[in-house]
Amino acid sequence: MKKLLSIILIMTMAMALTACQSGKSSSSNSGSSANDSEQSVDDLKSIKEKGKLVVGITDFEPMDYKDADNNWIGFDADMATAFAKELGVDVEFVEIDWDNKALELESGTIDCVWNGMTLTDEVMSAMSCSRAYCNNAQIVILPKDKVSDYPDVDSLKSLNFAVEAGSAGEQEATANGFTYTAVKDQASALMEVAAGTSDAAIIDSLMAAAMVGDGTGYPDLTYTFGLNSEEYGVGFRKGSNLTDELNAFFKKSYDDGTMKETADKYGVSAALAEQK
Amino acid sequence: MMDRYIEQFPVVINALNIGFLQTLKLFLVTLIGALPLGLIISFGSRSKFIPLKLLVRFIIWVVRGTPLMIQLLIIYYFPGLVFHNNIWGGQETGRFIATSVAFIVNYSCYFSEIFRGGIAGIPKGQDEAGLVLGLTKSEIFFKVKLLQMVKSILPPISNEILTLVKDTSLARIIALQEVIWAGQAFMKGSQGISGEIWPLFFTAIYYLIFNGILTVLLGKLEKKLEYFK
Repeated sequence: MKKLLSIILIMTMAMALTACQSGKSSSSNSGSSANDSEQSVDDLKSIKEKGKLVVGITDFEPMDYKDADNNWIGFDADMATAFAKELGVDVEFVEIDWDNKALELESGTIDCVWNGMTLTDEVMSAMSCSRAYCNNAQIVILPKDKVSDYPDVDSLKSLNFAVEAGSAGEQEATANGFTYTAVKDQASALMEVAAGTSDAAIIDSLMAAAMVGDGTGYPDLTYTFGLNSEEYGVGFRKGSNLTDELNAFFKKSYDDGTMKETADKYGVSAALAEQK
Repeated sequence: MMDRYIEQFPVVINALNIGFLQTLKLFLVTLIGALPLGLIISFGSRSKFIPLKLLVRFIIWVVRGTPLMIQLLIIYYFPGLVFHNNIWGGQETGRFIATSVAFIVNYSCYFSEIFRGGIAGIPKGQDEAGLVLGLTKSEIFFKVKLLQMVKSILPPISNEILTLVKDTSLARIIALQEVIWAGQAFMKGSQGISGEIWPLFFTAIYYLIFNGILTVLLGKLEKKLEYFK
C-alpha cells in the first residue's frame, strides 16, 4: 500500500515536471511568441492562425460595456470589432483586472488592451501603443457643498486626495504636490470622497461625466478643475506588428468618417483625436 | 431615493447571483479536489521513504509559506511569461481552471497537515490489534482508523472549509468573476448602474448565509459521528 502510494506520488511529480518541460520545448519551436522588449513580434500572423483577436477590457461606459443582450458595446468595443473584421478574424472580449493589464499582455492571455487607456509613461514603457484616438483630462472631484471653499488649484493642497493606484490621476497628484492615498480604482476613489474618508478625488473627465452629479450614484459630488489633458490609446505587446496595423486602420476609419460615426453613437465625438 | 433602489435591486441581485454561482463552483471543485489529494499528500509526508517525505514536506512548506494570491498569479501568468506557452487561454474557463488548480494545491496542503495530525492521533494499539486479527495494513486504515480520524479532524476541517468560502474572493486577482467582482462592477458602472457602493457590501450577506448553512450541516455531521466515543 505504502509503496504503491509512493509510486503514485512520484509519478505525479514527474508528470508535473515534464509538463513544465514540454511547455519549454514547444515555445522554442514557436519562437515567435517570445516577448523580449526589443524583439519584434509577429502578432498579426499568430492572431490570424488562431482566428481571433483577444481584447482585454473592463466594464467602462461609454468605452466598453454590455448591452441588454449581454454583448459588449461602446466606442472601444465597436472599433475593436471593426478592426478585427478588417484583419479577417473574430473579436473576443475578456474582462481583466486593470492592475494586471501588462501581465495579461505579456503572458499572452490577451492580444491588446483597448479600454480608454491613458497613455502614461508607465503604459508607454510597458506596451507598444497605438497613436492617441481620444483626448481626455484628469479632473478634481469635490463634495458639492465644499466647492466654494476652494477657488483655485493651490487651495487644494490642504486636502487629502484619493486616486487610482498607478493611474494618470496619481501622476497629477504627485506633480501638483497633493497629499493622496492610492486606492484600487477610480470608483473606489469616488467612494472615498462620498464616505468622507478622503476630501477629494482625481479621475478621468469621461468617467466623471457618467458617474458624478445629479441623476448618478453620487449626486452630492461634483467636478471642478481639470489638471491636465491626456490621450487614450490602445496597447499591444512590446514589438508587436499589430500596432502599425491599428494606426493604419485608425487613419482609414478617421478619413472615411466611420470613426466619427461610432464616436457620435456613444457621445465621445468631442474627445476624438485627429488621425494624421 | 427609494425608487432608485427598487429599480436597481433586481439587476444587482441577478448579477450577484451569477457571481455567487462562480464562487460556489470554485468552492465545490476545490473541496472535491483537495480533500482526497490532501489525504494522499498526508501519506507522502508520513512516508518511510525519506526522499519522498522530504520532498512532500518541502512542497507543503512552500505552499503554506506563500500567499494564495501570489500562487494564483504564478499559476495563471507564469506559463505564458516564463515558458511562452499560455496554457490557460484568456477566457473565463481558462481562468476558472487555473484558479481551481491553485486552490486545490493550496488547500490540499493545509488539509494534509490536518489529516497527518488525525492519523497520528490514533493509538498504536489499534494497529497492533488489527495485525493480530490478521487484517492487512490498508484494511486497518480504511476499516478501522479512517472514520475515527474523520471524527477527530472534523472541527479543524470545518474551520478550513469556512475559510475556503471566503478565500474564493482572492480569485478576482486573475479576473475570475466571482461575487465580489460582480458587486464591484456597479461601482465603476455596469448594466446602466454606475457609482453604486451598496452591491459590494451586499455580497457579505451571500457569504454569511452560505457559511451559516455550512455551519449547520457540519454541526449535524459532527453529531452523527458522536457514537465513536
